[in-house]
Amino acid sequence: MDEQRLPSDDRLDAPRLSRRAFLVSMCAAGAVFGFPRSGLAAMNPGTADGQPLEAAGRRYEPTLWYWIDTEGRVNVNVIRAEMGQHVGTAIARILADELGARWQDVHIDHVDSDPKWGTMVTGGSWSVWQSWPVYRRAGAAGRVALAEKAAALWGVNADSVTVADGRVSAGSRSIGFGELVRQGLDRPFSEDELKALPLKPHDQLTLLGQDLKALDIDTKTNGQAIYGIDAKVEGMVHAAPILPPTRYDCAITAIDDSAAKGIKGYRQTLKLDDPSGTAPGWAMVIADSHWAARQAADRVKVSYRTGDATDVGEAEIQAENRRLIDDSGAGAIMDTGDTGDVDAAFADAADTFQADYSTQTVLHFQLEPVNALVFRNDDGVWEVHTGNQWQSLCLPWLQKALGVDEDQVVMRTYMLGGGFGRRLNGDYAIPAALASKALDGKPVKMILTRADDSHFDSVRPPTLSRLRMAFDADKKVVAMDSSVASGWPTKVMIPGFMPKGTNGEPYDPFSSDGIDHWYGVGAQRARAISNELAEHTFRPGWLRSVSPGWINFAVESFMDEAARHIGADPLRFRLDHFKAEGRNAGQAPNSVGGARRQAAVLERVAELSGYGRDDLPADSAIGIATTYGQSRDMPTWVGGAVHLSVDRESGRVHVHKIWLVVDCGTVVDPNGARAQVEGSALWGLSMALYEGTEFKNGRVVDTNLDSYQPLRMIDAPEIEIELVESTEVPVGLGEPGTTVVAPAIANGIQAAVGARLRHLPITPAAVLEALKEGSA
Amino acid sequence: MLKRILATVLVLAVVVIGGFAVYAWHGELAPMNASERPDFDAATIEKGRVLAAAGYCATCHTAEGGEPYAGNYPVVSDFGTIYASNITPDPDTGIGAWSPQAFRRALHEGVDREGRHLFPALPYDHFTKLSDQDVDALYAYLMSEVKPVKQKTRDNTLPFPLNLRFLQAGWKLLFVDFGRYQPDPDKSDAWNRGAYLAEGISHCGACHTPRNALGAEKGGQRYQGAVIDTWTAPALTSRNPSAMRWTAADLTQYLKDGADAYHGVAAGPMGPVVHAGIAELPDQDLHALGVYFADITRDGDSAPLPDPDYSSVQASIEAGKPDPAWRLDNGERLYTSACAACHYNDRADNLQPTRPDLGINSATRLDDPANLIHVILDGIPAQAGNQGVVMPAFRSALSDQQIAAIAAYLRATRTDLPAWPDLPARVGELRAHVGTH
Amino acid sequence: MIECTINGETVRLDADPDMPLLWALRDLAGLSGTKFGCGIGLCGACTVHVGGRATRSCITPLKDVAGADITTIEGLDADGAHPLQQAWRELQVPQCGYCQSGQIMQAAALLKDIPAPTDEDIDAVMTGNLCRCMTYPRIRGAIRDAAAAIKEASANG
Ligand code: FES
Ligand code: FES
Repeated sequence: MDEQRLPSDDRLDAPRLSRRAFLVSMCAAGAVFGFPRSGLAAMNPGTADGQPLEAAGRRYEPTLWYWIDTEGRVNVNVIRAEMGQHVGTAIARILADELGARWQDVHIDHVDSDPKWGTMVTGGSWSVWQSWPVYRRAGAAGRVALAEKAAALWGVNADSVTVADGRVSAGSRSIGFGELVRQGLDRPFSEDELKALPLKPHDQLTLLGQDLKALDIDTKTNGQAIYGIDAKVEGMVHAAPILPPTRYDCAITAIDDSAAKGIKGYRQTLKLDDPSGTAPGWAMVIADSHWAARQAADRVKVSYRTGDATDVGEAEIQAENRRLIDDSGAGAIMDTGDTGDVDAAFADAADTFQADYSTQTVLHFQLEPVNALVFRNDDGVWEVHTGNQWQSLCLPWLQKALGVDEDQVVMRTYMLGGGFGRRLNGDYAIPAALASKALDGKPVKMILTRADDSHFDSVRPPTLSRLRMAFDADKKVVAMDSSVASGWPTKVMIPGFMPKGTNGEPYDPFSSDGIDHWYGVGAQRARAISNELAEHTFRPGWLRSVSPGWINFAVESFMDEAARHIGADPLRFRLDHFKAEGRNAGQAPNSVGGARRQAAVLERVAELSGYGRDDLPADSAIGIATTYGQSRDMPTWVGGAVHLSVDRESGRVHVHKIWLVVDCGTVVDPNGARAQVEGSALWGLSMALYEGTEFKNGRVVDTNLDSYQPLRMIDAPEIEIELVESTEVPVGLGEPGTTVVAPAIANGIQAAVGARLRHLPITPAAVLEALKEGSA
Repeated sequence: MLKRILATVLVLAVVVIGGFAVYAWHGELAPMNASERPDFDAATIEKGRVLAAAGYCATCHTAEGGEPYAGNYPVVSDFGTIYASNITPDPDTGIGAWSPQAFRRALHEGVDREGRHLFPALPYDHFTKLSDQDVDALYAYLMSEVKPVKQKTRDNTLPFPLNLRFLQAGWKLLFVDFGRYQPDPDKSDAWNRGAYLAEGISHCGACHTPRNALGAEKGGQRYQGAVIDTWTAPALTSRNPSAMRWTAADLTQYLKDGADAYHGVAAGPMGPVVHAGIAELPDQDLHALGVYFADITRDGDSAPLPDPDYSSVQASIEAGKPDPAWRLDNGERLYTSACAACHYNDRADNLQPTRPDLGINSATRLDDPANLIHVILDGIPAQAGNQGVVMPAFRSALSDQQIAAIAAYLRATRTDLPAWPDLPARVGELRAHVGTH
Repeated sequence: MIECTINGETVRLDADPDMPLLWALRDLAGLSGTKFGCGIGLCGACTVHVGGRATRSCITPLKDVAGADITTIEGLDADGAHPLQQAWRELQVPQCGYCQSGQIMQAAALLKDIPAPTDEDIDAVMTGNLCRCMTYPRIRGAIRDAAAAIKEASANG
């Protein structure tokens, strides 16, 4: 390791430091030296410096997923990233419940990217759903082993032994987990054995559904939680990148750092050479402190050769979306079941209805700007310290960028100052790695400015959806034809993840989920199209709720409009088309009940909100919508209603209250579930009314809060949430709440003032425009 | 403050009249050795220390990063730069060789020991009002408490003929009314004490009174407000722009703490006036200043002050309540996310001086938005305003347009005064302006 | 050399006088509980107390805090048990937690000046603090709870 001291060491004037001040500075240094290499492997969100728990005495590891030590402490290994969903708590709870542990004894570690953990990704609202069977079996294994051990000790039948609250008991005899471990316990379980283990029936799960305090909360209230931006290592230098004008096709032609030379602490400016193609045209300013790097970066002049992307703006991308949708041969046709001939149905229809819906570019704007610390450790292994949601995706890029093998790179996962899908794409780790590589493995800590974070964001792209419906002479729906176009993150970042459509074309499920909805509409075609102009201009991203966020805006706005078109009540119209039959009947284990469950949440939210009441003041109304997030494979059923009013003079939409009824199967963590639904619903509101930017000259126009306008406290309306009681498989909650708000608002606006808004965000200017059109 | 006014002061009058040379001529006073100096008692020295603070002597006579009172603080003007002189007791480069008489002559008449006319950068037009005892106390303090520093005062860069010191005599003849302060028998003792301090040592008029083309205070427009280094020193007469009347108590508190709940904080050039100056005065003297200014801001109306009229506070607080339509106006949107957290007050009877209410604040009410813009651009350091508290600097955070939008929003919603014209351009100018402080 | 007090102790920092207080706290004083969000004074993640006032440290130059008394989230309460911190835990306010140091510091300043804030007062003072996880309903609730707890404690004490 480099001998160089932290810059902070010599900036604190030691002789004048009081004891406490000295401790403050030592504490900083302590954090640097306090992470021994083994400790770095994992992060315990419950401790001041993320230091993992050391086992007391021997430890028993029934499976990979946890150990129990001689003090009876249960340490659960979590491979998911903590970004606000308290995922470690949820997973540990599942395990502890099945095991029969005492909650106070439970600790968690967010582990490194060792291949033994398997695929590491935190997204898609999959975490609880995927972990549920795995960690329950793991818990069962420990329970069985502890029971067997105690039974042998006491010479009783294992069946007569109970395991609960951290103790094993039979009759009047009782022994703690720790004591059993101390006596020696090393019963291993094979995969097959694990699968055959008996699981507790639901009614014996005692932690499930309880309000437990999440294990990562305390350190998030006293400044001790360690995020990627807080990562430190001895001898690190600081890097401030200078980003090219657009994401691709830019090459540096010259760097002039003469104006930066006078900055104290400035070292050099690197021109990054990126074999992985992730960060072309980046320069990296290296200095002794973040501030010095920042100051220098503002003075270094970089010249570029740029590509075509500098000519592309939002309008061009949307025009391309439209052109692609107009081209009936473009895109992949998704499997919507054998539902007959759509074109014929439209040709024979007595009436048709069609509408286009679009959404503007949206930034992640996770509050912690992306950052990474990278170095080569004493063992020659590259360590990447950062917050990340998809280590398994990022590692191969890192290998390529660094030119090393799989076992030469390891990622340490820190707390994420917001994920929302931004950190599924670990592109930001690459330039830091390249800078460290250029400096022969010296630790490089890179932090992007907020503006650069936005500029380099993998945004929710501009999208366009066109929906068509055909009716027979009795106004019965006989066919639906839906097309969506946008840039596809999955195609750009992990094409292998794309299934093939019925026409053999691959498609991005995360850019088409939602279009193959649970309404029975007769002949049905769902077509997803990738916009290559967008994909060449920027790197599209997965953003909280991904395509259900914009496609449901289209589908649920359209259902309202279609109902009105034929003179039907929008609620009734929807319910009439939720038939739990055919492929909409649902499937075990994830979508048991199918359309019936979606109808149930919709009916319930209509009832709860008083939808249809006629005593509201003029220009106000309750709008409804229903969605399922994230995909047909794993639906969380959501009914949403919004009480709003429209100011005809300014065009401002004021949301007074939001109701959400959510059926996510078994609720593992009720408090956390509500938190996720609250947060996601407000995200939905934010993207419906306030958030949006646009591309101009190949880059987003709004890069910071002076013009980008996410929802703030003053905008947060009352929210009423009802979670459906269920014993079905627990599914995701982080995103679905997002999807229902925008269409409920659009529908509410129409109900209130008769104007139909088909573009997000719904700005006051757009409302005024729509009102004008309506009255014209 | 004085050092900021020299741009206008350094206009020299070339007055050609008969006998002028005679009038202009002053003889050299004999040098005095340190050993010959009288003994000073501790009380006199302390009095001198306080007076030196209340006259901000150190502020102008100390260069940035330099030794106190050693001079060479650059006073930049359109005509050239002059450097404040070394007034440490160093015999060669400072005033160590000055007798008390020489010191008195300098303060009372603007002539140095050698007999040269001083530029009116030294406000002898005010110091002439000081009593001999007070001048002697200042002398005692400088001679006994200030460390002698050998540092030559740099030559001024004024071009000929502006650099001819004897021409200053003409300026004096035209504009200076020499003589000690004369109490007004119709006024209270406190009033007279306040007037003595304000007109004399603290030379308040140097900033708050407009100056003529030759840089002299306009006699007929005393305290009617002036521009100092792009900041506005507000009028201290009935033209004072504050929404709330200044009471003696408010003024006393403002001069002591650098802030009072009903008027705002001492920022810009006024910051050091309070914190490196006037706040050193004993409470009684601060009260006297309060009594004096409370009276002149009411143009001498001596009827008892009405209770503060809370209605303008109330109106301002109402205007600052959270507004669900806050996003519609750009200025309101930025204000709500950047400013309201600190400037919001819930009730008129819970108004916090450290939450300056911007509706009643003079910065929002002046004809020139410069004070408000300066503060948004560069904030207020812990050493100014409410001491120990800072206002952050938005210079690097917000554009000219954005700062202009905030200023326009405040002006429109918190006052009934006319909108400021050309705000974005004004922000641009002030952003580019490099102050001398 | 700039001298100031951080969490009760005098510290001298030899740094660029224009360095924002935020980076001085994080990188020189080793106090990383104060977060960088926007860098332009519009998110509140960097909020600390200077002279007891909530202050956005990202746009406060170090030279302006010479002699000032600074408190960060680490120093708000020696045991991390300020009534707001307790209420925050009780209601499980934090999601990702990144904004919460700033939220708590801003709320602490609010309660000092306005001990029994209405929802309107809370909105007015807290709207400057962005929470990207949108924990706003809980922040509101926790501020109300903490205000009640402080009132009760002073009534009993
Ligand atoms: S980081 Fe300071 S306000 Fe956003
Ligand atoms: S908790 Fe994540 S930004 Fe507030």
